[in-house]
Amino acid sequence: MNCFEARQEFSALWRKTATAERRAELLAHLKGCEKCDHAFRVFALTAPVLHGEMEQPEARVSRPARREFSLADRPRRFASVSRETSVQPNRWLAMSAAAAAIFIFAASTAYLSARTPDESLGEALSISDVNIDSETAADLLAPEIPLTENDLAS
Amino acid sequence: MLGLRARSRAGWRLSAKPDEELIAEVLGGDTAAFTELAARHRPRVERLCRRFFSDEEMARDIAQESFIRAYTALATYRAEMPFGGWLRAIVVNLCYDELRRRRRRPEELVGDFSAPEVQWMQTANVASPEEIVGEAEQRREAYDLAHRLLDMLKPEDRTVMVLKESEDMSVSEIAQTLGWSEAKVKIRAFRARQALRKQAERMLATGRNR
Repeated sequence: MNCFEARQEFSALWRKTATAERRAELLAHLKGCEKCDHAFRVFALTAPVLHGEMEQPEARVSRPARREFSLADRPRRFASVSRETSVQPNRWLAMSAAAAAIFIFAASTAYLSARTPDESLGEALSISDVNIDSETAADLLAPEIPLTENDLAS
Repeated sequence: MLGLRARSRAGWRLSAKPDEELIAEVLGGDTAAFTELAARHRPRVERLCRRFFSDEEMARDIAQESFIRAYTALATYRAEMPFGGWLRAIVVNLCYDELRRRRRRPEELVGDFSAPEVQWMQTANVASPEEIVGEAEQRREAYDLAHRLLDMLKPEDRTVMVLKESEDMSVSEIAQTLGWSEAKVKIRAFRARQALRKQAERMLATGRNR
């Protein structure tokens, strides 16, 4: 058996469909050929999926009992178009009620916390009618700045 | 005889009524006949889906969806090709679509291997070929790691690999099933093999170094 033939038999060895004679030949070849031996090890890493029988051992997955075919068993992920839309009124009702409650609460809080201003904006910004001289004007504008030597001394 | 053996290996079961007769009954209004048809092909269809997806539930869902698509499109089935081949085309296209729908695909193998996975990689490094075959049948991690390797392939590459390696389909059969050119199938198969070899080598090296 040459290398090409040996590699063609990997799958048969994995699936146990090779005849005893071919199997022995292949194993003998793998013992003597380092490259094919390595190629088999690489092959073995994907073979459980690509060449395995794919019958899940009991230990792997606990499978539910096999069902008979039924159109009603359409998987959910494929059913978006054709499956009758299952409306859930209770859920929507609850969500709407919650949204309405939040809105009412927010609106009443805003209303109750708002106060009518006692004075107009113009009045609030205007300076009251007092006698303003240079000193008080300075105080009003920058009271923290000392203006005179006495102030500085004090 | 050869054909019979090939059929039985692929999961076909001989039944009193051939597929074509059951299909005629379904088209005549006997929907129960489709139950028998589905039961006959289900093991093969599920096995094919499991080669695409490690998630058992996903594999079963796609198998189920395949039967529903087959049922609804049964009037378009022409007896020139076997029903199994026609059904397989539906399954493969559904699996391919699902693979494409999954946007994210790992570019590299993630290095966090579990202890049993490392043990399996070490076995693949040092055990004899017969021991490797025997161990792989017993180990869930061998199956999981194989899926992780295949998950890195592009959907096109993975589909070609599964059809070529697992289903023993020829390039022209794959091209016909997927509606691609033969050149595209060949290129995809070549790239898939290269990518798999590269990652498998890395995996073996991980097993050697630990």
